[in-house]
Amino acid sequence: MQDGRLSLTTPEGVRLALTPAGPAPRAAAWLIDLLIWMVFIWICLWIFGGSKLGSGLIGLILFVSYWGYPVLFEVYFSGRTPGKRVMKLAVVRADGLPVGWRESVLRNLLLVADFLPFMYATGLLCMLADQHFRRIGDIVAGTQVIYFDKPPVRKPLREVEPVPSPIPLTPEQQRTLLGLFEREAQLPPERLQELASIAEPLTGETGAVSLEKLRGIAAGLSR
Amino acid sequence: MKQKQFEHAHAAFWQQLEQSLADKKNTEENFPAMYRQLCQHFALARQRGYSPALTDYLHKLVHEGHLQLYGVAVDRPMVLHRWLLQTMPQRVREEWRLMLLAIVAFFGIGLGVFLLVWFQPHWAYSFAEPHQLMKFQQMYQPDNIKIGRGGSEGDVAMFGFYIWNNVSIDFRTFAAGIFAGVPSLISLASNGMHFGVIAAWLSLDDSTRETFWSFVITHSSFEVAGLLLAAVAGMRLGFSLLSPGRMTRRHALMAASQRMFPVLVGAAMLTVIAAFFEGFWSASTSISAQTKYVVGGIGWLIVIAYFVFAGRGRNDAA
Repeated sequence: MQDGRLSLTTPEGVRLALTPAGPAPRAAAWLIDLLIWMVFIWICLWIFGGSKLGSGLIGLILFVSYWGYPVLFEVYFSGRTPGKRVMKLAVVRADGLPVGWRESVLRNLLLVADFLPFMYATGLLCMLADQHFRRIGDIVAGTQVIYFDKPPVRKPLREVEPVPSPIPLTPEQQRTLLGLFEREAQLPPERLQELASIAEPLTGETGAVSLEKLRGIAAGLSR
Repeated sequence: MKQKQFEHAHAAFWQQLEQSLADKKNTEENFPAMYRQLCQHFALARQRGYSPALTDYLHKLVHEGHLQLYGVAVDRPMVLHRWLLQTMPQRVREEWRLMLLAIVAFFGIGLGVFLLVWFQPHWAYSFAEPHQLMKFQQMYQPDNIKIGRGGSEGDVAMFGFYIWNNVSIDFRTFAAGIFAGVPSLISLASNGMHFGVIAAWLSLDDSTRETFWSFVITHSSFEVAGLLLAAVAGMRLGFSLLSPGRMTRRHALMAASQRMFPVLVGAAMLTVIAAFFEGFWSASTSISAQTKYVVGGIGWLIVIAYFVFAGRGRNDAA
């Protein structure tokens, strides 16, 4: 848990890391959903309003859409309401699997408790106190809101002559080194050289020379 | 093994897996075996410290595979049927103490207030605003009860309103119960109190007595039962947090919510049934009051018999 991620061990014994989402993006997702629902209701009022038959229909639509909107989306669209989709969030069960009816209904009904005493104060306090930002509804239903990461784009490293590392590197150090060159395009050259200077114990050089040596070591690590 | 070699050796296999994951129906027959192979690759890549790009890519594949393999919803045929005919009444009987508490909170307070207002009518003003009492008295005038609604279209309007209003009250009564069960009890007591004061007030008046009771009797059995169930489920949540027994509070809360879920579904369904009666039958003037009393009495008998007898002697896990 040192990087704030939630680690799940699958039955195959590998660890999946999920990133719990905090109050701010979830509040934004909630606001988007609220706006969508209000526009929908406004359209329904505009179409059916006026007649007595229509007001009965509106009652039905209010009921089904108010309580059903989050549940239907979470069950049928792999844990994502439109708001959550925009904010790249998803609701999953505590074991990382998609939510079912029971979990979704419970967590959304308990929004009522999270709302008390005003404007989701209980939910916010609960999220801040909980290790994985769960509100009361999440704890009761055994669910978790996570970031739904996009698949990473893999970019090949620049081809250079591979150089063996002067000292054996731990897997973590290797990851760090390779990660540096995978993010090379996003960093300004000065920053790259500055970072390479930190690796002086490894390369015995500083600045651009150190960077080129590191590049060689990284190439050596990756083939 | 260097990363390049590793990638070269398995790239085709990962591609194949990626394809079968993208395929929604996933026709790959030995997918579980392939997935386990992938998990091994992922663990190896991580252990050997291969680049973040590769491990992230494999992590993503493993996550999708995990969802694909274990995320399939188990087919549970007739689950609603069994919930309604066995699980729900069984669970309610198991919680008979809470049910008793709920009944006392609703009917006890309702009856108390009713008797108070019946013998000391001026007390009614302590429980309700005068203009509210006036409004109810006008609503239940024999000539008014149908006219104000405007025929069958008005019935639909009232039906929609009852569904939205009453089932939402059930849901709120349930959810707020997590705070030690107190809000559920308050909801029961305040609903009981309102019922008591209005029933007494309208019974005191000769003109509204029959319209009120014949209106209320039919749907009250389902509606009150729904509210009681929602409150019992809510109180169970709150009490599981107060005294979790041998479990942690978190687990006690989760276990209680899982157990009470069928009860909550039952509460919603009973209230929907009540809304049907309330919208389309209770206010009808073409049905005599006697018929309504008989039907209402049968409704109460059905509800009571259901919770006393349904699902006895059958013990299927749900």
